[in-house]
Formats: sequence, structure tokens, C-alpha cells
Amino acid sequence: MANLNTDSVKQRTFDAIVIGSGMSGGWAAKELTDNGLKTLILERGRDVKHIKDYPTTNLYPWEFPHHGVLPMDVQEANPVANRCYAFGEDSAHFFVKDAEHPYVQVKPFDWIRGYQVGGKSLLWARQTQRWSDFDYEGPARDGFAVDWPIRYKDIAPWYSHVEKFAGISGNRDGIPELPDGEFLPAWPLNDVESYFSDHVKKNYKNRYVISARCAHLSKPNQIHLDQGRSQCQERDLCQRGCPFGGYFSANASTIPWALKSGHATLRPFSVVESIIYDDKLGKATGVRIIDSHTKEAVEYYAKVIFVNAACLNSNLVLLNSKSSRFPNGLGNDSGVLGKYVAFHNYSAHIGAEVEGFTEWTTDGRNPAGGGYIPRFRNVYKQETDFLRGYACGLSAYRYQQHKYDGVGANLKENLVKGEISPWYIGSHLMGETIPKETNFVTLDTGKKDKWGVPLLNISVDYDDNDMKMQKDFVEQLTEMFTSAGFKNINASTNHQAPGLDIHEMGGARMGKDPKTSILNEWNQVHSCKNVYVTDGACMTSTSCQNPSLTYMALTARAANHAVEELKKGNIS
Amino acid sequence: MDRRTVIKNLALVIGGATLLPSCLKGSGNYIPLKHINITADQEKLVSDICETIIPKTDVPGARELNLHIFVLKMLDDCYKKKDQQAIMKGMDEFNAMVQKKYSKSFSDLDAKGREAVLTGIENGNKPKTGGNKPPARRFRPQKDLQVPPLDAFYWALKQQTIFAYTTSQFFMTKEIVYELVPGRYNAHFPVKNLKTA
Repeated sequence: MANLNTDSVKQRTFDAIVIGSGMSGGWAAKELTDNGLKTLILERGRDVKHIKDYPTTNLYPWEFPHHGVLPMDVQEANPVANRCYAFGEDSAHFFVKDAEHPYVQVKPFDWIRGYQVGGKSLLWARQTQRWSDFDYEGPARDGFAVDWPIRYKDIAPWYSHVEKFAGISGNRDGIPELPDGEFLPAWPLNDVESYFSDHVKKNYKNRYVISARCAHLSKPNQIHLDQGRSQCQERDLCQRGCPFGGYFSANASTIPWALKSGHATLRPFSVVESIIYDDKLGKATGVRIIDSHTKEAVEYYAKVIFVNAACLNSNLVLLNSKSSRFPNGLGNDSGVLGKYVAFHNYSAHIGAEVEGFTEWTTDGRNPAGGGYIPRFRNVYKQETDFLRGYACGLSAYRYQQHKYDGVGANLKENLVKGEISPWYIGSHLMGETIPKETNFVTLDTGKKDKWGVPLLNISVDYDDNDMKMQKDFVEQLTEMFTSAGFKNINASTNHQAPGLDIHEMGGARMGKDPKTSILNEWNQVHSCKNVYVTDGACMTSTSCQNPSLTYMALTARAANHAVEELKKGNIS
Repeated sequence: MDRRTVIKNLALVIGGATLLPSCLKGSGNYIPLKHINITADQEKLVSDICETIIPKTDVPGARELNLHIFVLKMLDDCYKKKDQQAIMKGMDEFNAMVQKKYSKSFSDLDAKGREAVLTGIENGNKPKTGGNKPPARRFRPQKDLQVPPLDAFYWALKQQTIFAYTTSQFFMTKEIVYELVPGRYNAHFPVKNLKTA
């Protein structure tokens, strides 16, 4: 028996463990295995193999039981998931259903999750912009949260590193506040988007409308072909999983890459209960999981552990990793773990009608979605009564309008023969929110899930700054649309709950001072250096760029740091 | 669900429905509906209404395309309970209204008469449109039917029949060309070159 146990422990011992297989976990696995580390990837959900496990990817609309509409019982059973724009008959199998994984909404919070290999990287909107020092210096300049322990120069090479591999389309726009990257060709703006871009350039200082930068292979390089991916075919059905590997997902890219190295082991159905901390050794020694099928607890051991469970679940894992050294959660000497959670403010939209350009339209589909307006508020100096600013998504479109009046042959003919609509243009707010101690998550002291893990209490809300920003977006975009000559301008605001932006960040923030932060400049837990947290949980502030590219870059940087530290013997 | 299962399920629904009415006519439920009860007579009514909305012309109509099966499936699966109740109540009111006005059932009317019944309802009470917002890009099932039952019934049937037709394999391959894999984005494209303009 003793021998058997030793063998079993040996089989359960790795160089590295990565908790989570999504956007950032896939990157940790890729970088660690590229460096020859024997790596265990833990995923709480099922495996989703590229192409093979995309059951809807090649279906025509009429091949779906309800031609794409979700049955009402599914909608009513999933009020949270159903609020996500991507939750449909073609993609529902990639979303967590509300009843399966409960959490406690102390305040309304739409927690959108994808529990499977690849996580939400299958479902994301694929927008990818770098941060600049206007973002990394934000908290220090404007006096909120804590100072980021890194600057743009620290992360820039890692943005390049991940961009080359993931494949990012974009133009070199030369905008200091939105640094250029390693780009594949951008998808072009259409006529109305281009007109607006020119108008803004001529009439506004430091405001730009650019082609949206996105993680699609407009023109693949060898490194993408080596991953088994090919050129984006402009299907715009990305939420089904892409049979071409046209957009970046962990499933199409980093996970199969890591597995191909021969150094990775993927273990689905592994709910991480906690990270094991050895008080005597003074370090983390492994991870305790519950097999989601057998409900059996299993321990795995490694020299280094990457926490990439997705922002709030990474907080949950850390909070639930209690030891006599860390009675309040791993690395939580400061008491800030779970606090300073923030998100993105998506609470406003504006639309308008555009006169002219009648001879022109578009043909095919634009996977990038259109244009992007980088943050222009409070960039070079504080100029408003609110802190920070917002980016805007932008797209112009026209479509076939049909007359639906009456019944019979005439109606039937009208359904084929359309009349092309005027142009419409729309834009939505993507605002930075300020991390606060009062926006936090905690472990519920009573309720547990099926695997004995405490439920997460989520208490996150908008504040006055967000409402001022919402108002400013409406004012500024109304003014810009008006001066561009757009008509019937219609702004609307909503009170969508935080979470629906799917950009929750923070809780285990990076910082210089262990007294006020959880992670150091390398994403290591200050007081437990062989644990790295590199997903959204690490974010000190949110800025207003789509965050995934920054998670990828931080993860690649941290993983390579871990490899160096192991070599040097600084972690073991 | 894999591709084969989806097709198999559709074949089951369509096959079952086309075969059973003749042998089970008048004896109650005959297609597998989970939430609403539809009799053979009601199924015939729905089928006749669908055919009136999308009649056979030089291209197939609702009956030939079996649209009413899909319409019933959508009524059964994709509406809230209270909307289904309103629709079913509306169906009864519809029958009573036609009987009162014409001393005949809808199915006994000729094509012109059937059209007149439907356009009469349509012109009587149009659903509200959403202010000065641009119209929906695609015709979608109504979310909430806050109208009298007769109108709820009519508009649900009309919307679902149009949805069934415009998303049918026939329509999407023969009348328009739905592209699963466009493989292109032309940002500057002459309207005159559009196929459907």
C-alpha cells in the first residue's frame, strides 16, 4: 500500500498546475509547456474539443428546432444567461444555466459564465485593444485604487508576444492613448463609418474613429497555420465555435498547442475547492479538487500554481484557501481580497439615421463589428466632473426592409422583394468604473454548492461617477452625431446590472504594497510567491479597453517569470 | 444535439403530423405538443390560416412547405403561458366571430373570403410600433402580446407564419441565398449590384 500511495502521489505531481482553461488559463498552459514544464490544466466543466464539440457550427437556420429562437422555458429558467446578447439556440450549450451554479446577488449582478474547456473564450466579442500609460498611470494620477506596479514598457513586449500568436487585426493608427500592435490587416470601415471618422478627425482634437481591432485572422501567418487555424470567413457566427479557427479561442489555439507539446495533462470535471498551503514549508504545495461526477476529493501537487478560474471564481478559490497562516484566504494578510471589484459601464446607447450615401452599401459581414472610438475624455488632463472616461463601439448599417402588410400573394412577394433602408448609425458606451472597497465579493457562510464549495456573495453596484459618465456619453455623442448631420438621434440609457458587460475585474489586485494589494508586479501573491493570479482578478483598475488582450499579455509575462524563478530556485 | 439528431427530430415532427391527421382526425391531440392542446380541427384552422397568409403561387405555399407544423411548434415552445392562453382564447373568438359573420367556418370560406377575414382583423388593430426607433432588422416573434385575444391570435399566427416561411429551407435557398460562409466583407459596395435590391 505504501508503494501504491507513493506512486499515486507521483502521478498526481506536476511542475505546474493551471486552474482554468479559458482566455488566460490557456495562455498559462501554453507558455509553461513551451518551456518544458509538466503542466496539469484543471477545468471544472466538460472538455470542448475544437470543431468536434461545436455541434451547431455548420447548421443552417432552418436546421435548428426553433430556427434560432430559444424556447420560452429555457428563457424563463435562465433570466441571467438570457440577458446576454450571445445566448441563443445556437450557443446556449456553452453558457452556465442559472440553476446549475447558484450565487448570491446581494445586489443585482448578472454573472455570465462558461464552464467548459475554453471557458468564455468561445463566446467573447473578440475586441482587442492595448492599454497605454494613460491607463496604467490612471489610479496614481487621479488618486483612486492603488498605483499599478507596472507601466506600459513592462507589458508592451508581451502584448506583441500574444498578438503575434493569437492573430489581431487592426490598423496602425498612431494614437498615443491606444498603442499600435502586431497587426494583421484590419477590416475596413464602411462609407458612413469612414465619413464619421473623417468628420471627427477634422472637427475634434484627440478624438478618433478607427477600425475595430479584433482577434480574427484576416490574413493568417505561418504561426496561425501551425495551430491548425485558417483565415476568417466572415461568418459572424462566432458564438457557435469556429470550424476555421478564424477567431482566437483557447479551444482553437492555446489549449491544443499546449497538449501537442506532450507536457500538458487536461483534467475536465475538476472543481477546485482550494489551494493547499503548507504552513511548515511556507508555500503552496498543490490544489484540492472535487471530481464533479464522483464528488471525490483529489489532491494534485506542483511547484507553481496559476489561478485562472475567471475573475470572480479566482477570488472564490483564494478566499476558500484557508490555512493557519492564511485564515482569511490565501495571501489575504491585507484584508483586501475580494474587494475593489469593478466592471465596465455599458449603460447607454445612441442611434441615428444618416442621410445620403444612398448608392452604397456593404456586402458580406464584418467580423470586427465596425468602428471603435478610443477614450477621449480626461486623457491628457482632467476636464470633466467625473473621473476617467469611456470608449465607444460604433457601427453603421443598412438592410433590406420589407412590407409586412396584409396577407396572400402580395405579402409573399414582398418578403422576397425588399427595399434598401436608409443608413443607420449606432454607438454604445464602454466606460471605466472606479474600483471601491464597497464593491466586493465574499464567501457565503451557510450556503454551499453540490461539491461543498461555499457560494459567492456578490455586492457590486454603479456609483455617481458612472451616472455622470453615462450622461456625458449621451451629450458628447449627440453633439458629434448632430455636427455630422445625422438625423433622428435617439439616445437611450439602461440600468443593466453590473456583470452583463462580462468584464468583471479585481478582487485580488496587483500593487506595490502588500498592505493594500494581493499581487506583486509579476502577478505573484505577495506572501505566497509560487501562486500567480493572472486573470481579471488581478486588475488594479479597469480602464475602458476590452480586457482580454491585457489578461493574455499579463499571463504570458507571468508564466515566463515563473519559469525563470523556478530555474533560479527562487520558487520550488 | 448533433446535426443528425436535429434533422431526425424535424423529420419525426413533420412525418408524424402529415400522417396522423387522416387517421386521428377529430380525436384530440396528435402532434407532440408540450404546453398547448390542439385538436385536429384547430390544426386544420391553423393550416388554412397559414395557407391564406402564404398561399401557393408559382412557388410553394404554406401547406406544401408544412409551415403550420413549425408555427404550432413555435406557439407551443416559444411563448409565455399567459400569451399561449390569450392565443388559444383568441382562436375560439376567431371561430365564433367568423361563424357569426358568415354563418360558415373559416375553412368553408373560399380563398377571397378567408383573406377578407384576416385583413379585416389586421386593419382593425395594428400592433404598436416602437416610436422613432429604426424598425427591426428581422421579423421576430413578439415578446409580449398585450392585445385582445383575437388580435393576439392573429398576430402570433401571422408573425410565426412569416418567420416559418422566411427561415424555411425553400425560402433561404431558392428565394434568397442565405450564406453560411460569406468569405468576404465589401465595405464599399454599389447598391445596384445587390442581388435582392
